[in-house]
Amino acid sequence: MGGLVTPYTITALDGVAYGLLLFTIAAGLTLIVGVAGVFSMAHGTLYLAGAYLAWHLADGGWTGLALALAAAVVVGVLGGAGLAAAVRPLTDRPLDQVLATLGIAYIAADQFSAVFGAEPRSVDPPRAVAGSISLGDYQYPIYRLLFIAIGLAVVAALFWLVERSRVGAVVRAVVADPGMAAATGLRIGIVRTSVLAGGGALAVTAGVLGAPVIGPAPGVDTTILVYSLIVCVVGGLGSIRGALLAALGVGQILTLGVAIVPGAAAFILAAAMLAVLTVRHRTALPGRPS
Amino acid sequence: MTTTLTPTPVPTGTSTRRCGRLPSWGLSAVGALGLAAAGALPWLVNAYVISLAATALVMAVLAMSAQLLVGWAGLAPLGQAAYLVVGAYTAASIATATSLGPLQLLAATAAGAVAAAVTGLLAVRARGTTFLMVTFGLGELVHAAANQWAPGGSEGVHAPPVVALPGLPPMVRPGWVYLYVLACTLVIGVAVAILVRTRFALLLRGIAAHEPRVQAAGHHTGWMLLAAYTLAGGIAGAAGALAIAVTRYVSPADAAMGISALALAAALIGSGSMTGACAGAILLVAARDWASGLLGGHGPTLLGLAFLLLAYLPRHRLAGLTTRFPRRRT
Repeated sequence: MGGLVTPYTITALDGVAYGLLLFTIAAGLTLIVGVAGVFSMAHGTLYLAGAYLAWHLADGGWTGLALALAAAVVVGVLGGAGLAAAVRPLTDRPLDQVLATLGIAYIAADQFSAVFGAEPRSVDPPRAVAGSISLGDYQYPIYRLLFIAIGLAVVAALFWLVERSRVGAVVRAVVADPGMAAATGLRIGIVRTSVLAGGGALAVTAGVLGAPVIGPAPGVDTTILVYSLIVCVVGGLGSIRGALLAALGVGQILTLGVAIVPGAAAFILAAAMLAVLTVRHRTALPGRPS
Repeated sequence: MTTTLTPTPVPTGTSTRRCGRLPSWGLSAVGALGLAAAGALPWLVNAYVISLAATALVMAVLAMSAQLLVGWAGLAPLGQAAYLVVGAYTAASIATATSLGPLQLLAATAAGAVAAAVTGLLAVRARGTTFLMVTFGLGELVHAAANQWAPGGSEGVHAPPVVALPGLPPMVRPGWVYLYVLACTLVIGVAVAILVRTRFALLLRGIAAHEPRVQAAGHHTGWMLLAAYTLAGGIAGAAGALAIAVTRYVSPADAAMGISALALAAALIGSGSMTGACAGAILLVAARDWASGLLGGHGPTLLGLAFLLLAYLPRHRLAGLTTRFPRRRT
């Protein structure tokens, strides 16, 4: 055990936490893109909303977290449904969908900084898990370990939901061939709206849980959006498996990569994107089958 | 104005496509009047509005760069600010050796073009919304890289005032800076106007309308799109040098998505015309900076509302976009 615990494995553990957080955010986006064909530029905004929610409701105990999580689900579902309603008139006009969601993201970001101020806020985890435990010679925050556990649970639940359950079969059918899915009697519109709502709920929940890791501040919405877009593009749009692998990879690049080659993380990310796009060329990145 | 691309190349230099109803002298009269008003602006309004106007001109150049890709090649970029920042940093570094403006402009154009050529290898593989996302990612990566590696870090760098021509004193007063930027914008505008009347631009429109057909005609569309992307990057780099002339300062924040989104929105407002893109840029800068100043802040909200309006208002779909996003043809 002692040989395993080096600065690098500790950093790699951080990377796993980071990657699972990114997966929780990006899984929603990849399904939204795959199912609804909407590149939601407001996805980072939903994360930021969750992070501010956590900051507002956190009281250092479990009740605050539970309240924040409950509120997150409501806000996420409402936000997702609102986005679905906003892009519904723009079906088949992807560029206008991007503009509309971008406009919403702008307005929301401006309102956030008007309400919560321009300075970054730090969110403390519940007191019971605020400390750290020793792993070998190193101290590691308990909350991060807890977060990894929650993240793994989210991964398992999502995999079951998408790949094993009937709901998931419907969703995958719509990703694969919307026309055929509609012809077999599936209500495409309802599926799209619920995927947007579900993805929204995931993103806001990730914001609440991830607030102690990536705290709320102006600009965080864009950062999160970029990372989740990279995860979506690298993992393949609409694929949960791909998103998981890509998110874990991006998480490692952003932590271990930064530790080993400081400053080059951005370029490793760009190189990863380039490599994936080169290998798959353009046929495998259709956005959705057209 | 029903812009389905006709296979026969009509636009032979005149703007029959856009302004069929205006008599030809009317258009040039409006242009001359606008030019005279733009030239006389420093004597008409206060220094604050002048500096806003100079910023609007910088954004107009960036909007032309975006329009070359949106309106001609049918690819919507969301990362043009990256090349603006590359150009601006180049101009700022050159400024330690020479404060001659035109030299900075050329260097920044070259740097923007080189940066676009390298990153374009990645971008032009994608089409449609994926292109948008890839360019967006590239822009944000340049943003991150500028924070890490550029001189000055996240603080940015300052540059000395620019000299318009050898022998002239450095320009400090906003009026002179504005006139210099106006002159440069006009030169760039003329160059772009010539560019979009070449056979190359016609082929770009062809690629936007139906890429396989252009390929079948024996053209390597990938290289042509890369050339267009490089040219657009060069124009954006030139905008960066002008930004240095106006603000004498560049920071990684200039590569943020907001600038790219504004340029793209301006290009879309201009639906397929370079003049329209410039007008759109001036309109959006006026909304963001001037109107929000009157309303006490909230520039982003105004910009967001503008984007929403742009998305929902029925507007003429571009020839390139209707086919590039192949869902509905108007």
